[in-house]
Amino acid sequence: MAAITASVNAGGGLADHIHPEPQGFFRKYVFSIDHKIIGIQYMITAFLFMILGGMLAELIRVQLMKASGGIMTPDTYNEVYSVHGSTMVWLVIIPLLTGGFGNLIFPVQIGARDVAFPWLNMLSFWLFPPAGLMLYASFLMGAPTAGWTEYPPMSLQGAAGTSMWAAAIFLIGVSSTMTGINFLVTILKMRAPGMTFTRMPLFVWGQFVTAPLLMIATTALGAALAALFVQRQFGVAFFDPTRGGSPLLWQHMFWFYSHPAVYIMILPAFGIISEVLPTFSRKPIFGYKMIAFSSCAIAILGFMVWAHHMFTSGLAPALQLPFMVLTMLIAIPTGIKIFSWVATLWGGVIRMTTSMMFALGFLATFTLGGITGVFLAAVPFDLHVHGTYFIVAHLHYVLVGGSLMGVLAGLFYWYPKMTGRLMNEKLGHWAFWLFFIGFNGTFLPMHWLGIWGQPRRVAVYDPQFQGWNQVASWFSFVMTAALVLVLFNALWSIRRGKKSGPNPWNARTLEWQIPSPMPYYNFKHVPSVFAAPYDFAEPLPYKGLEEELKGGPPPVPAAH
Amino acid sequence: MPENRDPVVHLDRGFWIATTVMSVLALLAIVFWVEVPITGLMPEAVDKAQQIDALFRFLAATGTALWIFVCGFILYFALKFRRHAGTPENAVGVQIHDNNKLEMWWTIIPTVFVIVMAFFSIKIWAGIEFAPNNTLVVEALGRQWYYTFRYPNVNGEVKEMHLPLGQAVTLQVSSYDVIHSFWIPAMRLKADMVPGMINTLEFTPTRAGKYEIICTEFCGTFHGEMHSGTNQNPAYVYIDTPAQYSAWYARTQRQQATASNAISVPSTSQLNLAGGDAKAGAAVFSAKCSACHAIGPFDQRIVGPGLKGVLYDPAHPDLVNGQKATPENVAKILQNGFKGSLGQMPNQAQNGLTNKDIVNLVAYLKTLK
Ligand code: HEM
Ligand SMILES: [Cu+2]
Repeated sequence: MAAITASVNAGGGLADHIHPEPQGFFRKYVFSIDHKIIGIQYMITAFLFMILGGMLAELIRVQLMKASGGIMTPDTYNEVYSVHGSTMVWLVIIPLLTGGFGNLIFPVQIGARDVAFPWLNMLSFWLFPPAGLMLYASFLMGAPTAGWTEYPPMSLQGAAGTSMWAAAIFLIGVSSTMTGINFLVTILKMRAPGMTFTRMPLFVWGQFVTAPLLMIATTALGAALAALFVQRQFGVAFFDPTRGGSPLLWQHMFWFYSHPAVYIMILPAFGIISEVLPTFSRKPIFGYKMIAFSSCAIAILGFMVWAHHMFTSGLAPALQLPFMVLTMLIAIPTGIKIFSWVATLWGGVIRMTTSMMFALGFLATFTLGGITGVFLAAVPFDLHVHGTYFIVAHLHYVLVGGSLMGVLAGLFYWYPKMTGRLMNEKLGHWAFWLFFIGFNGTFLPMHWLGIWGQPRRVAVYDPQFQGWNQVASWFSFVMTAALVLVLFNALWSIRRGKKSGPNPWNARTLEWQIPSPMPYYNFKHVPSVFAAPYDFAEPLPYKGLEEELKGGPPPVPAAH
Repeated sequence: MPENRDPVVHLDRGFWIATTVMSVLALLAIVFWVEVPITGLMPEAVDKAQQIDALFRFLAATGTALWIFVCGFILYFALKFRRHAGTPENAVGVQIHDNNKLEMWWTIIPTVFVIVMAFFSIKIWAGIEFAPNNTLVVEALGRQWYYTFRYPNVNGEVKEMHLPLGQAVTLQVSSYDVIHSFWIPAMRLKADMVPGMINTLEFTPTRAGKYEIICTEFCGTFHGEMHSGTNQNPAYVYIDTPAQYSAWYARTQRQQATASNAISVPSTSQLNLAGGDAKAGAAVFSAKCSACHAIGPFDQRIVGPGLKGVLYDPAHPDLVNGQKATPENVAKILQNGFKGSLGQMPNQAQNGLTNKDIVNLVAYLKTLK
C-alpha cells in the first residue's frame, strides 16, 4: 500500500506506476495483465469467432438461394441464424470494439501506463473464450432457435442449448460489465497531466460514453437472462402468461439492454472514424466539441428509446408516441456527427490509405443505415416492415456497414502499433472494394424484399423473391472473400509487412509518439499535455516525450 | 513550419457544380419516390394503406435526397482534395476547427425536418390507433403453425378469413402458444399475437381480392411456412363484396353450428421431467394412448406410429414434428398435440392429461427400449 501511495504522489497519478515486465511465455502472452496484450487477445479471439459466425452466415445465404430451402432442415436453419446473430453481436463486434481496440489503444492515448484494474482486465478477457465455446457447444444439445433476441415463450420451447445460450451470454455480460467499470475509472482517473476532457482524442470519448452503457445496460440483460434460465430449468413462471407471467417482460428487459447495446457497437466505431479522418486529411476534426457532446447525447437518448423495437407488440398508444419522438430525436446528434465528418474532408490533403477508404465507406453505408433507422421510428411504417427483411437490411447497414467497417478502418490504422509493420496497401484496396461492393449487393436488396413481404428468420420463402435472394447470396460470397483477404493480409504482414517505424501516418495522438510495437510500460516518463491533438500545423502538444523513442526501459522507481 | 493550404473557406466553381449535380439527382430521386406506382407492386387493400404509403414516399424521398448529398460531398471532397504525387510529406489541410454558423444550420435544419416528420407520422399514427367504433369485430388466433378466426355468432373457429368491402373492421389478435405476428402486406398493417394478450388492428377494406397473411415473429420450426406459400394451411384474407360476404357468413354459420366453441388452450410450460413414475405412466398409456399407438416398431401403426423405442430407435432419431427424439420434445408433443401426415394427435387438454400424467408417460416411454 505504501508503495502505491508513494508512486501516486510521485507524478501523474496512478498512471506513473510501473510494474517490472513479467517473464515467461504464459505470464507474458497468455495470462497477461498488460492492456495491450489483452487487447490483442480479444482481437484474435473475436476474429476467430468471426470466422465461425461468417461460416454460419454463408450457410444461411446458401440455404436461401432457393425459395424452397436447400441444404438444411428448418430446425437446423433456425439454429444456424440464431448462433450467427449471437456470435456476431456478442463474440465479434462488442469484444472487438471495447475489449479489443479499447484495451489496445485508449490507455495509451490518455498517457496511462495501463488500465485502472489490470487483473480485472485479465479476468474480463478470460471469461470471453469459455463463453464463446459454450455458445458453440450448444449445437451439441440443440442450439437456440429463436434468434439473438430469444423471445419467450418461443425460447422456452427451445432445446436444452437455449439454457446454455443464456449462460454463455450471461458470462459475456459479466465480462462486459467489468470492462465498462475498468474503462470508466481509467478515463476518469488516469489521464496524463493536462489531458483535460476537451483534449482527449475522440476515440477516448467513444470509449468514455460506451463504458457506462456497458455497465448499466448489461445489468438489465443479466437479469433477463437469469430469469429465462430459471424459468427454463426450474419452471418459475416469469414469462408464462398462463401462470401470471408476461412474455413482454422479456422484451422490455431485453431491449432495455439491446438498444443501448447497438450504441455499444457503434460509438467506439464513431471514435475510430474520428481518428482516421483527421489523420488522413491532415486537418483538425471539424466540430470536435459537437462530435464529443453528440456522443453523450446519443448515449443518454439510447436509454430512452428501447420500446421502438416493440411497436407491434401491443404497446399502449400513450407509450408509442414518446418512444417514436425520442427515437427520431437521435437523428439530430447523429446527423451532426455525419455532417462534421464530411466537413472534415473539405480542404484536406487526403491520403487514400485502406484505412481511409474504409472510413469513407463507413460514412456512406452508416448514413444509409441511420436513415432507414429514422424510417423505422415512424410507427406507421414500422407496422409494415417490422419483423421483415427490411429490418435485416437496416441492422446490417449499421452493424456491418457501420461497426464492422469501423473495425476494419481501425485494423489497418493501428496494425503497426501492434506489430511494428504495415499491412499491405494493395491487398487492402482490393479488400475494400470487394467488401464495399459485396456488402451493398448483399444487403441493399433486402430492403425491398422486406417491403414486398419476405419475413425474417425463415428457412423457406415465397418463390417470387428468389431472384433477389440469389443476388444477395452471390454478393455475400464476394463480401466473404474480402474478409478472407483482410485476414490473409493481417497474417502475412506480421512477418512480411513493411516496417512501419513509430508513426507511419504522421498522426498526432499519443500512441504514435512511442515505438511500434508499443513497449510494455507505454511511456518511459508520463508526458504532459497542453493542447488538443488535431492541430496538424502546430508542433505536438505534448511535453516530456524526448526519451520515448530511445532504447531501453524506464528506470523502475526505488520504492518497488 | 509545414506549408499551409489557403485557410480561407472557398466555395469555388467546382463546389457549386458538384452541388448542382447533387441537387438534380436528389430532385430526380424525389420525383421517383412520389411517382413510383406502389400499388402495381403491392395493392393498397385498406384505407390506411394509402396513408402509410404516403408517409413512406415522404420518408424515402427525403432520405434518398439526404443520402445523395452526403455521398456526393464525400465523393467530391475525396477526389478534389486528394493528395497529389508531388505533395510534400508534411503538407497540411486547412486548419479550421469549426464554423458556428454552419453547425447552427445543420442542427436547425434536421431539427425542423424531424419535427415535420414527427407531425406527419403522428397524424397518420393517430388515424391508425383511434378508429371508429361501429365495427365488425373479428378475432384472429395464432397457433404453431396456422391461423384460425372467430366471428360473432359463429360457433367455434374457422380457417378462412373473409371481410366485407367497405365495412370498418376491428381485428383482435392473440395466440394460443408462442408469439406470432399477423401481417397483411397489402394492408401495411401488423400486430403481434401475444399469448394472454389481445392486440387490435382497425381498418376498412377498400379493395376486393385475396391477400396473403404472413407471420413475422419467429414461432418455431415451420415459422417460414406460416403464410400462403408452401404451407398445408395457406393463410389468406378474402375481401368480398357485401353480397359475397353475407353468403359466406351464412354458409359458415350453418357449417359451424355443431362446432365446439371452446378450443382448449394447450399448455406450453416447460415440465420438470425428473422423477416420473413409469408404472403410473403405463396405466395412463393404456387408458389414453393405446387407441392410436401400438407398443411396437415405428411402422406398426394404428393411427399414429408405434412407440416402442421412440427415444432410442436409430432409424427414427427425430419425432414426427421434426424435432429430436428427446424426453423434452416428447413431452412437448404430449402437451401441444401435433398434426402431421399420419393424422391429428390431440393436445394435453383435449386428451385430458395432467402435467403429472405427462411426466409419468415420459418415464414410461423411456422404459420402452
Ligand atoms: C447507431 C447504430 C444502430 C444500430 C447498431 C442499430 C441496430 C439495430 C438492430 C440490431 C435492430 C434490429 C432489431 C431486431 O432484431 O428486430 C434495429 C432496429 C431498429 N432500429 Fe436501429 N440501429 C442503429 C441506429 C438506429 C437509429 C439511428 C435509429 C433511429 C433514429 C434506429 C431505429 C431503429 C428502430 C425503430 C428499430 C426497430 C425496428 C423493428 O424492430 O421493427 N436505429 N436497430
Ligand atoms: Cu407464427
